[in-house]
Amino acid sequence: MADQASNRLRLGLSATGTIAVKDFRQRIRDRSIFIMGVVAPLVLALIFNAVFGGSDGIGENVTLDIGVFDADDGEVSDAFVETLSAIADDGIITLTHLETEPEARAVVDAGDVGAVIVLPATLSSSVEGGVDAVITVIGSVDAPITTQVALAIVEGFGANVARGSAAATALFMAGEIGPGEIPTVAAQAATEAPTLVMGEIPAATRQLDSATYFVAGLSIFFLFFIAGMAVTSLLDERRTGTLSRLLAAPIPSGAVVAGKSLTSVAIGLLSMAILVPASTLLIGADWGPVLGVAALAAAVVLALVAIMTLVGSVARTAEQAGNLQAIVGVTMAMLGGTFIRISGDGLLSQLSLITPNAWFLRGLSAMAGGGDPAQALPAVAVLLAMAAVTGSIGLIVVGRGLRL
Amino acid sequence: MSEQRVLEVSNLRKRFGDLQAVAGVSFHIDVGETYGLLGPNGAGKTTCISMIAGLLTADDGDVTVLGRPMTASSIGPKADIGLVPQELALYPDLTARDNLRFFGRLYSMGRAELDRRSDEVLDVIGLSERADDRADEFSGGMKRRLNIGIGLLHGPRLLILDEPTVGVDPQSRNAILESVERLSAEGHAVLYTTHYMEEAERLCDRVAIIDHGEIKAEGGRRELVERVGENDRLRVEVSGPTEAAVAKLSDLDGVVGVVGADHTIEMMVVDASAVLVEALAVVAANGATVSSVSVEEPDLEAVFLHVTGKALRD
Repeated sequence: MADQASNRLRLGLSATGTIAVKDFRQRIRDRSIFIMGVVAPLVLALIFNAVFGGSDGIGENVTLDIGVFDADDGEVSDAFVETLSAIADDGIITLTHLETEPEARAVVDAGDVGAVIVLPATLSSSVEGGVDAVITVIGSVDAPITTQVALAIVEGFGANVARGSAAATALFMAGEIGPGEIPTVAAQAATEAPTLVMGEIPAATRQLDSATYFVAGLSIFFLFFIAGMAVTSLLDERRTGTLSRLLAAPIPSGAVVAGKSLTSVAIGLLSMAILVPASTLLIGADWGPVLGVAALAAAVVLALVAIMTLVGSVARTAEQAGNLQAIVGVTMAMLGGTFIRISGDGLLSQLSLITPNAWFLRGLSAMAGGGDPAQALPAVAVLLAMAAVTGSIGLIVVGRGLRL
Repeated sequence: MSEQRVLEVSNLRKRFGDLQAVAGVSFHIDVGETYGLLGPNGAGKTTCISMIAGLLTADDGDVTVLGRPMTASSIGPKADIGLVPQELALYPDLTARDNLRFFGRLYSMGRAELDRRSDEVLDVIGLSERADDRADEFSGGMKRRLNIGIGLLHGPRLLILDEPTVGVDPQSRNAILESVERLSAEGHAVLYTTHYMEEAERLCDRVAIIDHGEIKAEGGRRELVERVGENDRLRVEVSGPTEAAVAKLSDLDGVVGVVGADHTIEMMVVDASAVLVEALAVVAANGATVSSVSVEEPDLEAVFLHVTGKALRD
């Protein structure tokens, strides 16, 4: 019995290798594989990076163009503008000084700056008098991040004012200052620049640069189609009649599916092995530590082949399988953030977690900026779990189909 | 069981939904015997073969190959079978030699044996000169021959050929039939399905006439023809419609079976001379014009007509 099982395993492994080698040779002769696996993601990433890479909202290398219109020109507003200038000197923003509020609106509308902070004429007197003042931020709908940054700066200023008022009140209560000095002390506190604290960025919130992001996302998008060939090739063999001959051979029928899947895995890994260094050289992509990238690539290729085997298993023809796989591939790419970076904790962000695309990008992001390869392990584990679950179901369904 | 027995099929059944594709088929094949399954398209021949080759799970019944039971998950018995499917089961983008080598490896053939057998088989199927050409550059007949060669490569004890001559030119057909005759002479057991009566008559030691998934008659050619008894086969060539004449002819005394086709009416009759005049009158009275009449010796087609009441080509 044990001998029989051992012989069956030996035959199965040998047949898997034979089928995989034959399929690999056949597919590698087909130039479309090279185009799909390497050229298309690389070229599209170049285009995407050129179009979206420098714009606000997608890539990380955004330029925050902020304007300021100071209608007050008092002590408090001067301090605020000085703070903005200091941030601009640090290269975080570019600052444009504007003379009138209509001019401020015009430059935002024209897209010359992403947001303008309008300091009202009564700012200094209001702060010194302990009266509420309204600072307006005029933001462009096309520059949401710049607008958010401008709002954050204003909110930080407001917090300083509140803190200054609290401190002045405390000094008054302690008898250190008289009641008439409270607004002055509060205003002084408000004009102090906020303290900036640099800390470790958690892995979950690290971001890839736009070139890497696009090439990584697009590589997975196209890998879906390479992965789908395992099942479409099987259905093609059924159509042409060669499947009968394979199943009539003295080999376990599972070896046929395994051979096909192994071919897709090998081609997927090969395309990644070419794409990673090619994109690094050609578009300056920074994938991260080799070990972590290799683990992620292997895990995502396995997951994609397994998912596409499951998707294709419900089809009766290669054409049907191809159509279903295309629908799933595009949906996963959209949900997984291939075309638009998904951030935050919203519904879309939660939904993205069902896709291998998102986990692959999360794994790469976790290693971005000199991260440890071990940071990718959670993503690798999730991808392998996806592969195990979908692959098991897919193989059972395909296996039943083979037995008719 | 005979030591000579290569294949034993008993009470094989398979149903697809409402269709009983195979309904209790039983037969056997011995060493060196060529056994024909003769029947029209849709008779159940390919379904039978699929179950025998372990491609399809039978609803009921048993298949044993050299005494070992065959199922879809069997491995040992499959090594003794060479299957030549009806479709051209080969890879068009591979050369003839690469096709042979690929399938040979699935039968655990070593490199040296594979090279030797590939050369032998290429010689047998007449493709030695084109061994390194891609299969998609071959003519239909050459592809058919390669299709057979792949089934032969590992030296199977039982060769199953499913309609191997469909769609080939007469020259290639003859080459294929000669190959099968040679294999039989070498001691291979052959299961040959066809709907061409003349192929079954030429190749097969025994023939089973299969229709609607059942074996209607089985035996050697002489044995089967004797079943027709003293009946004559009357063939009438006509112009004009045949449907009305066929309906009337079947009511005549002495007519066992009638089949009409374009320009032809075939009848199995007890005595051709007794029924001829009346039959021709019926044909003429029903709108058809007789152009020629022949009385032929019974053959397998006549047997088919006799046991099924219809022509093989239907």
